[in-house]
Amino acid sequence: MTHPAFEALLDAYLDGELAASDAAELEQHLRACPACSRLERRRRAVTSAVREHLPRFPAPEMLRTRVRAGARAEASRAERRRVPLWTAFAVAASLAVVALGSRQLALRGAAGEAITNQVLASHVRSLMPGHLTDVLSSDQHTVKPWFNGKLDFSPPVYDFAGGGFPLLGGRLDYVDGRPVAALAYSRRQHVINVFLWPAERGRTAGPRAATRQGYHLLHWATPAYTYWVASDLGLSELSDFAALLQRGDSAAAAAVR
Amino acid sequence: MESSELERFEAVVLPHLDAAYTLARYLTRNDHDAQDVVQDASLRALRYFAGFRGGESGEGRAWLLAIVRNTAYTWRQRHRTDTLTTEFDEERHSETMAGEHPEAAVEAESERAALLKAIDELPLDFREVIVLRELEGLSYKEISDVAGVPVGTVMSRLSRARRRLEAALCAEPEDC
Repeated sequence: MTHPAFEALLDAYLDGELAASDAAELEQHLRACPACSRLERRRRAVTSAVREHLPRFPAPEMLRTRVRAGARAEASRAERRRVPLWTAFAVAASLAVVALGSRQLALRGAAGEAITNQVLASHVRSLMPGHLTDVLSSDQHTVKPWFNGKLDFSPPVYDFAGGGFPLLGGRLDYVDGRPVAALAYSRRQHVINVFLWPAERGRTAGPRAATRQGYHLLHWATPAYTYWVASDLGLSELSDFAALLQRGDSAAAAAVR
Repeated sequence: MESSELERFEAVVLPHLDAAYTLARYLTRNDHDAQDVVQDASLRALRYFAGFRGGESGEGRAWLLAIVRNTAYTWRQRHRTDTLTTEFDEERHSETMAGEHPEAAVEAESERAALLKAIDELPLDFREVIVLRELEGLSYKEISDVAGVPVGTVMSRLSRARRRLEAALCAEPEDC
């Protein structure tokens, strides 16, 4: 039986943490003492077994995506907190001028603005830890039935992994005073949220775009569903994604007819 | 935060996400909690990032691991049931008990599985120094910064942790 203090010195020696003079003294003792040199051999064996066999756990791709998305959301929130009041007024004033003269800011009206803000808030909230998905699956045939009994409609769920937009999962959300389906997709490190619910009286609306706090939002309505898409992905790639969704819906509608 | 600051943050933190996840996985012993801890820690890291002045890659890793470690401890306190179960386990697998029945435990499993089990059964204080030293290769000084304890404490915990692993793994004296 050796003294714990000696064992700790021996471990520090094996880790190269002992001062040279102490190390020399310890080596001298190990040469003279068979019991201690047996202990040294055992320690070396255990330490090398641990270093060789103890598994490392690579971070799942999903976690990597969420960390990046979360950092971006947090950074844009911090940026907004820092904007001085007079700048906010100046920006609001200049935006008002732009809005008057531009057709690009197509989302107008108090109701549209309220939904835009709700969709944005839901998107940012979904990027916080543990909020992105209630059902975590890249399989559309797992995600779609998950909504059964939770919503009064069965949302179309597509897998665009082939197009570079893999499905991450789905969750329930609440927008415009009603429960809605939210589907999460990813593009490289970016998260895309799709919000959809049954359209009102079959009114269709053409794709419109808005940018808020560094996030892009797209909105359109088919005869069947009202769609909102939110992401920090570039607008052109997000539009490609929207086109995939629209093609999916047209194909599904054609199949029904 | 300016976008260049966000880019600097991503350059410092993202390369060490595997190390962060590995540490969180060993501290929580659970994939799902480990993911939440790492995500939570990365947001904390972002908030503290202005205070991080290190440039070298190793410094960024030790800095992130310290935040992951503290987040995991907060996480345990918030989830009381897990803490209670763990404390029970630690008592059950105390040094004397492990010394009494090492053979059956070790021979039933492959070396890797036996090792993982032995590590998972270590008390949290011991588990973290083993992971930081053997997997991450941190120096005693770096471990002392991450765990917030003096270097002498790191030295004695590491030694006691290795002695327990030795007892758990070396069922037959001639094996080792």
